Amino acid sequence: MAEPLEMLDIASEDPEAVRTCYAERGWGDGLPLVAPTPERVDAMLAGSRGDADEPVAVLPPRSGVATRRVIAVNGVLAGCRPEHLPVLVAAVQALARPEVNLRGINATTHPVAPLLIVHGEIARTAGYNAGAGAFGPGNVANAATGRALRLLLLHVADAVPGSGDASTQGGPAKYTYCVAENLAESPWGGYAASVGVDAPSAVTVHCGEAPHNFHDMESSEPAAILDKAASAMASLASNNAPVSGAEFFVMMCPEHAAACAAAGWTRDHVASYLHERARLPAGDLRTAFALRAWAPWQEALPDDAPMALTEHPDNIRVVVVGGPGKHSSVIPSWGMTRSATVPVELVTPGGNRR
Amino acid sequence: MRIYAPEGAVGPSAASLAPFEPVLAGKRIGILDNSKPNAGLLLGRVAERLATRTGARVEVVERKNAALPAPDDLLARLAEAEVVLTGSAD
Repeated sequence: MAEPLEMLDIASEDPEAVRTCYAERGWGDGLPLVAPTPERVDAMLAGSRGDADEPVAVLPPRSGVATRRVIAVNGVLAGCRPEHLPVLVAAVQALARPEVNLRGINATTHPVAPLLIVHGEIARTAGYNAGAGAFGPGNVANAATGRALRLLLLHVADAVPGSGDASTQGGPAKYTYCVAENLAESPWGGYAASVGVDAPSAVTVHCGEAPHNFHDMESSEPAAILDKAASAMASLASNNAPVSGAEFFVMMCPEHAAACAAAGWTRDHVASYLHERARLPAGDLRTAFALRAWAPWQEALPDDAPMALTEHPDNIRVVVVGGPGKHSSVIPSWGMTRSATVPVELVTPGGNRR
Repeated sequence: MRIYAPEGAVGPSAASLAPFEPVLAGKRIGILDNSKPNAGLLLGRVAERLATRTGARVEVVERKNAALPAPDDLLARLAEAEVVLTGSAD
């Protein structure tokens, strides 16, 4: 059982007053905040069962204890609605997985931010946007859930710029970074099931950069479309270059995904092709990076050998996102981190978890 | 009106610093190089000077990935030293 949460006296619940009250204590993300009154927090918790003060996760570097009540407080602050809380709880569980390496994520000078991807039924029932403009702006669920996750990192993990977060320049993705998978238009089924999480709803966190767009307006050939993705991936300007075991997330728009599927390409085919095409001469990579985390067999490649920007096709993760149009994106990794996909625990109107 | 603070409690620390040795003469100095540029050079020079001034000796030098926790076997080797120097950023 965690200690009771500290309460503050405030003259007004005006969002500007909450921002000022919090800023005096070094809290907040710089934007106005919804007052986390006990009434609002209780309403946020109403859709979940059990002890709200039991730890969900401990977040470094502060070793802050994230209970469901603490998560709900930060959800209220960000503008979340009660139906977003299960997504937020699952996101915290995913971030705390050891393979994500949250201590490194917060300590690095890189501008990494956790991208939260919402999968399955809850994306539809809780109003997440998987279609046009899915990365934002304009949708309450995406905007508020992503913001709440950042507020949890600021408050519970102490990922405060200059102290608990050493990022040299920071980044816009550190305000909010949440999107839903477009399951209805995915020709390959859901991403979560493809990585072995067979649940009605799930979330993935991928700690990486902001998305890098690529477009192909004229081609229906998978190779022509994907060569543009490969061009964005085969760059010295991401941590995938010195860290060969890192992942890429390739966020395919429905039209690009449909073109690949119509030609008989599976999700694995897309990843295999990109692994083959996203390459640079090993010597160029060596010249650029004295400090490298490569597999021994990669270090043995001659300078003129075309080396894949990630060690294995499995590190190329393909998710369908977005609406009409022919723009997709590549999201490089911070490097020393792995994505995590976890189920979202839902409570039915009858009070049963599933 | 009352509102919640957003931080939550602080959990137990995974580790704590050992008490500092008041006299270093005859003690062993370890270095944990985190692989950042020049970290080994900087820590090595500091350790040499410390040894010269105090009569301690540099005995254990280990290197780890900058972005990952140090593995247990590496920490066990470092634990043979009474003083460990570490910490270097970009």
